[in-house]
Amino acid sequence: MKKLVLLISLIAGLALAKTTITVGLDADPPNLDPVFSNALVDRQVQNQLYDKLVDLGSDLKIIPMLAQSWIVEESGTVYVFKLRQGVKFHDGTEFDANAVKFNLERSMTAEGSRRKGELSLVKEVKVVDKYTVQVTLKSAFAPFLAVLSDRSGMMVSPTAAQKYGKDFGNNPVGTGPFKFVERKRQDKIVLAANESYWQRGLPKVDELIYRPFPDDDVRLANLLSGAATVISPVAPKDLNSVRSNPDLNLFTFPGLGHQGVWLNVTKGAFANPVLRRAFAATINRETIDRVVFLGTALPSNGPFAPGSLGYDPKIAVPKQDISLAKKLLADAGKPGGFSFTLLTAPGPVLTQLAQVYQAMAAEAGIQIKIEQVEFGTLLDKTDKKDYEAALLGWSGRSDPDGNIYDFMRCGGPLNSSGYCNAKVDQLLNRARTIRLAEARAAIYSEALKIIQSDLPYIYVYHPQITIGASKRLAALPLVPDGILRFKSVEVK
Amino acid sequence: MMRSKAVRRFLSHPLAVVGLLVLLLLLMMALLGPVMVPYSPEKTDFDALQRPPSQKHLFGTDELGRDVLARVIFGARISLTAGLVSVFVALVFGGAIGLVAGYYGGNFDRVLMRLMDAMLAFPFLVLAIALAAVLGPSLQNTMLAIAVVTLPIFARIVRGQVLTEKTREYVQAARAVGAKDWSILIRHLVPNIAGPLIVQTSLSTANAILAEATLSFLGLGVQPPTPSWGSMLNAARGYLAYAPWMSLFPGVAIFLAVFAFNLIGDGLRDAFDPRLNR
Repeated sequence: MKKLVLLISLIAGLALAKTTITVGLDADPPNLDPVFSNALVDRQVQNQLYDKLVDLGSDLKIIPMLAQSWIVEESGTVYVFKLRQGVKFHDGTEFDANAVKFNLERSMTAEGSRRKGELSLVKEVKVVDKYTVQVTLKSAFAPFLAVLSDRSGMMVSPTAAQKYGKDFGNNPVGTGPFKFVERKRQDKIVLAANESYWQRGLPKVDELIYRPFPDDDVRLANLLSGAATVISPVAPKDLNSVRSNPDLNLFTFPGLGHQGVWLNVTKGAFANPVLRRAFAATINRETIDRVVFLGTALPSNGPFAPGSLGYDPKIAVPKQDISLAKKLLADAGKPGGFSFTLLTAPGPVLTQLAQVYQAMAAEAGIQIKIEQVEFGTLLDKTDKKDYEAALLGWSGRSDPDGNIYDFMRCGGPLNSSGYCNAKVDQLLNRARTIRLAEARAAIYSEALKIIQSDLPYIYVYHPQITIGASKRLAALPLVPDGILRFKSVEVK
Repeated sequence: MMRSKAVRRFLSHPLAVVGLLVLLLLLMMALLGPVMVPYSPEKTDFDALQRPPSQKHLFGTDELGRDVLARVIFGARISLTAGLVSVFVALVFGGAIGLVAGYYGGNFDRVLMRLMDAMLAFPFLVLAIALAAVLGPSLQNTMLAIAVVTLPIFARIVRGQVLTEKTREYVQAARAVGAKDWSILIRHLVPNIAGPLIVQTSLSTANAILAEATLSFLGLGVQPPTPSWGSMLNAARGYLAYAPWMSLFPGVAIFLAVFAFNLIGDGLRDAFDPRLNR
């Protein structure tokens, strides 16, 4: 009798066993509040906690989420959103037009908000009725929907946001498929299934645990041992061992970002455009792809990844040309070459990459001194233009504006070069107002030609999104923004 | 007379002789190696990435196609230089502090020694890492950081020795004939406390080599592409499963160098031990 009870409880226990997905990330998300977040890795967790007004499909098309449909007026300045009904936040409060107004205004006005830039053209948010919102822009802004598919479109509970204030990031409340349970800094973030999620039958797992593994090898070891169900990214050197493992799936696909070299045009050697071109001519993008990324990066010469608007396949990827580099050096009065310091963040891949640049530049007599500094210091130095050259890229946005506007316009917040060209400014501003895709793309191509000749930044490659996952994991959507969306994922 | 006895005793210590031979081998490698290996330690070959050891590359090649043998040999220069220079600096400054503190005593001694105690309170590596991080990554700064954290050890040893020696008759005799303080310190005291100092120098050098490797492993030492055993290990760490030769050879080199200095230190301790003098 006792044995039978034991057996029954064992079977019941198995049937009721929690399904958990453990996700290995390369950093601990600094802030889960979408308004104050500025790290790529934050978005991994935020996308499970919060639904957005609109989402991004695998083909980069904007798809409905909390907004079921929308109408854009001919002028491109008025957007009317019809909201999904019967959606509740994790704290039980209702999602409606007032919540949308609250969220957009919070992003636009909160002190220290990181969203102010992308929403700077919003003039007014009006509640038309309980489930209809009208947003009026100061001028046409083509990237607006793309902006709402990211952190600016994440809807947090107004009640919770008012209650917790600045501390909301530690007590996040959204409408998403998973709700916040607990977090231990630098250890784990635990989320549980939202049982009253508006999409019936979702999510399909009970628990989601995020763990930071900054070290590539530790992250891989956790995947191999089964301690992590899925990891992203997978270091280039480990791609083959994941690919050949019978228990694992490897997913690689083009992301939205770009990587390359910032050159400081405000002072030092690279104030001279001829020297910028000379260094650029020494770069062999194929070699970088082959040696450092084992063929998984895409050599490029622009900020827009393939598949996104603005990507122009006609723009050639320059080949290494040492004799051109030497000729340019001679033109600049430096036939024997020159030397500069290349700033890079630490890490095995970046160290290897920096040394490949160093070896290539040496072929033309250009001496590179590598200086490894902590990532925060790197951002600080590039912000203050206190450097000569720096390895720094961008994770990418789905709309081309997000990959170029703040980087290449005079005084742009992410313009690390100090570059300023009135013609480029004019083109970039114009591209924002045009809704017709082809016309926009043509303007970006025109601006890019100028940038490629001025060279404040040498675009070198598009990194791939790399995900290693247990074969037990099914139905993981692969979206080029690299964010793992777990709402419909199953564990077998 | 006593000197030659110490040398004889050291040479009759078989492990110490092994240590000395290994050290001589490493020194020779550092001095003559670049002549013997046909590759530059920084020359990349993107068509020969991570080749296993072969006749062409005896120790194989690394993640940028560089010859691992050439890098291990060149790394010997960096590691031995770092070890010897930092300990020499620590010996000179730490020794000077210990000498004056022990000889003059009083508040002067108390302040200096409490300062040294405060430094010793920090774990050796933690303090070295903190210093190297503040000073910025470079070989000079690494050596400086190691020297600073090694310095109090020498200060303590010297002070202790001076305290016992300064009451001896020969010091009193020197003072009686009117010798100046500095002359007593340098001419009379230093030669008489040299034994334990030499032993400590050898042992500290082993520690310093290990510390340099650790700091370089953490990216706080020499900057790429200059090879150091520690930075080679750091780069090789991720390839342990795919290209073990990248980590094996620098690892063996660190082991041998540290082992050699420790054996020599042990041998020297026995050689200078006054209890074995009778």
